[in-house]
Amino acid sequence: MGELIVAIALVVLSILIYTQTDDLPSMNESQLDAGSFPQFVAILLGGLSLILAIKQIIVLVKARQQNSETSIKEQLLYIVKEHQLVFITLALLFLYILAIQILGFILSSIIFMIITALVIGPRTKKSIVTVSSIAVILTLSLYFFFQNVLQVRFPTGIFF
Amino acid sequence: MFDLLFLGFGEILNLKILLVLFIGVVVGVIAGLIPGFTVAMAIVLTLPLTFGMEPVTGIAAMIGVFVGGMSGGLISAALLGIPGTPSSVATTFDAYPMAKKGQPGKALSIGIWASFLSSIVSLFILVTIAPQVSQFALKFGPWEMFALICLALTIIASVTGDSIIKGLIAGLFGLLISTVGADPIMGFARFTFDLDVLRAGIPFLVVLIGMFAISRLMQSLEKSQLEKDRLERLNEDASEMKFTLKPFQSLKKVISKPMTLIGSSVIGSIIGAIPGAGGSIANIVAYDQAKKWSKEPNKFGTGCEEGVVASEAGNNSTVGGDLIPTVALGIPGSAVTAVLLSALMVHGITPGPLLIVDEPNIVGGIFVAFFIASLAMLITQFAGMRVFVKITQVPTHILVPIILVLCVVGTFVLNNRTTDLYILLAMGIIGYLFTKYKYALAPAIIGVILGPIAELNLRRAFMTDPDWTLFLSRPISLTFLVLTVLSILFTIWQTINAKKKAQV
Repeated sequence: MGELIVAIALVVLSILIYTQTDDLPSMNESQLDAGSFPQFVAILLGGLSLILAIKQIIVLVKARQQNSETSIKEQLLYIVKEHQLVFITLALLFLYILAIQILGFILSSIIFMIITALVIGPRTKKSIVTVSSIAVILTLSLYFFFQNVLQVRFPTGIFF
Repeated sequence: MFDLLFLGFGEILNLKILLVLFIGVVVGVIAGLIPGFTVAMAIVLTLPLTFGMEPVTGIAAMIGVFVGGMSGGLISAALLGIPGTPSSVATTFDAYPMAKKGQPGKALSIGIWASFLSSIVSLFILVTIAPQVSQFALKFGPWEMFALICLALTIIASVTGDSIIKGLIAGLFGLLISTVGADPIMGFARFTFDLDVLRAGIPFLVVLIGMFAISRLMQSLEKSQLEKDRLERLNEDASEMKFTLKPFQSLKKVISKPMTLIGSSVIGSIIGAIPGAGGSIANIVAYDQAKKWSKEPNKFGTGCEEGVVASEAGNNSTVGGDLIPTVALGIPGSAVTAVLLSALMVHGITPGPLLIVDEPNIVGGIFVAFFIASLAMLITQFAGMRVFVKITQVPTHILVPIILVLCVVGTFVLNNRTTDLYILLAMGIIGYLFTKYKYALAPAIIGVILGPIAELNLRRAFMTDPDWTLFLSRPISLTFLVLTVLSILFTIWQTINAKKKAQV
C-alpha cells in the first residue's frame, strides 16, 4: 500500500514539475532553455513511477484475491508502534530547528539533546546525569570551535 | 605519474596536514566501529569542519576519515560479530569465529594488515590508471560527458537497491532536486514554488546529510531495530575481551597468502571504480571469490585466515578504485567521493577530466594523502586498539541526539542559513521513506551532484550544434549510450532469470 502511495506521489511530482516549467522564460526554438532539462527528467520520472504504480496495483489486487484478513486497523496500529520513536524524534527535531531561532543555539541544543536522549533511552538518575553532561560539553565545544576557529556565528536568540 | 606523486608529497608532508590527516583517521576508525554510525555519515559531518582549511588540508582530513572508516568496521566485526559498517559484513564470517576460538588478537591483526596492504595495491592501481583515463577523457565534448553521466547513473541504479526501476527513479529524483534554484546557464530561479526556503536551491550537502545521516538514525529508532540492538549488546561485551596483537607474526601470515591478498585487492579496486558499488559489495564478492579459488573452501566460515584477508582486503581496496572515476572524470562512485568532490567545489576547484592537468598538486595530494592515511590507519589500529574496543558500545540513546545536533550544526555552517535546516528535515524524511520502501539512496545522491553537470553539458551540446543526432553519431558518445541501454537490459534479464530460478 505504502509503495503505491510513494509511486503515485512521484507521478504527481513529475506532473507538477512538468507544468511548472511552462512559466520559465525560454530563448528560441533551436536551443534548450531553463525548462528543457527538468522537463526531460520529469517525463522519465513520471513514466517510470507510473510503471511502478501499475505493478504495485497488480500485486495488491493479487494479494487481495488470496487473503486480506489482516485488518487495516491492525496494520495501522503496528505501524504506529513500530515507528513511535521515529515520529517523536522527527517532531523534536522540528521543534529544535524552530527553537534555535528563538532560544539561540546553545540553549536549544542542550535541551534538545537531553530530551531526545531521555525519550529514546532509560530515564534513570544516572542516565540523566551522563546525558546532561555530554549535552553541555558537546554544545559548548561546538559553539566555541565554530565561533573562534571558523568564524561562524550561530543564532543567539532572545536571551543573549 | 611520478611527478604527481612528488607534487603530492610536497603538499602533504607538512606537520599541520599530517596532524589533520591523523585525526581524520582516528575519527574514521571510531565512526567505522560504532554500529549505526556509517563512514558516509562521518565524512559528511567532517566536511563543514574543513571549510576554513586549505583545499589540500581539507581533502587530506576527509581521505583520512574514509580510509580509517573502511578499516574500523573490522573491530566490531571481529570481536562482536556485528558489522560496524555495511562494508564489513563478510568480515564477520571468519574473523568472528576466529575470535571465538580464542584468537581475537590474531583476527584483528591479520585484518589490519590486509586492510593496509590492500590499500597500497589499490593505490598503485589508482596512480597508474587514473591519469590514463583522464587523458582519454580530455577528448570528450559535452555530448560524451552527458552520455557518460547517463551511463554512470544507470550503472548505479542497477547495482544498488531493490530493482532497477526503483534505482532509476531514485536517480531521476536526485536530478530533479538538483534543478531547484537558479539554472546553470541563465540563472533563472526554478521550482521555488514561491518559497523563500527554496530560492537559493537545495544545497547538495544538505541533501546528503539529510538522506544519509538523519534517515539512517531514524531507522535505528524503529522498535524492532532497537530490540535487535539490545539483544546483541546483551550477548557480547567487547571491552572485557582479552587479546594480544602480534603485528610481525601476522604480517608474515598475510604475506604468505599473496594470491588471496592481491586477488581480493584487485576485485575490490574494480568494484570500487564502478559507480554505486562500494565497500559493502566488494567485501562480500572478494570473500566469495577467495572461497571459490581456495583449495580448501570448507575451511571458510570456521575462522580461517584467508577469509579474514579476503574480506578486509576487499573493502579497503575500494577506496583506491572509487577515487579513479572521481579524480579522472569528476564522476563520484559513491556518496563518500561525492562529498570529496563537493569539498573541492566549495574551494572553487572544478572536478572533471581537466583536474589532473589544472590542479596536479591537488590530485597528487589526494594520492599521497591516501598512502599516508593507510599508514596512519595501520599505526592507530595497532597502537589504539585497546581504547577503540571500549567504544564499540555507545548506546543508541546517546548516539542519536549527538549526531542529530552535529547534522544541524553541519547544515547551518554551510551557508549560515537557518532556512536550510528545514530542507535538512525534509530531506531526512524523504531519505527515510526511500530506505523504508527500498529505494537506494546512492543513485539519488549521485543524481544530485551530477545533475548540474549533466544539464550544463546537455545544453552546451545543443548550443554548439542543435543537431541531437550528434549524440548517436559521435563514436564515444554512442558507445556510452549503448552501454547505458545494455546495462538496463542486462539487469532486467538478470532479475527475470533469478525469478525463474526461484520458481523451479
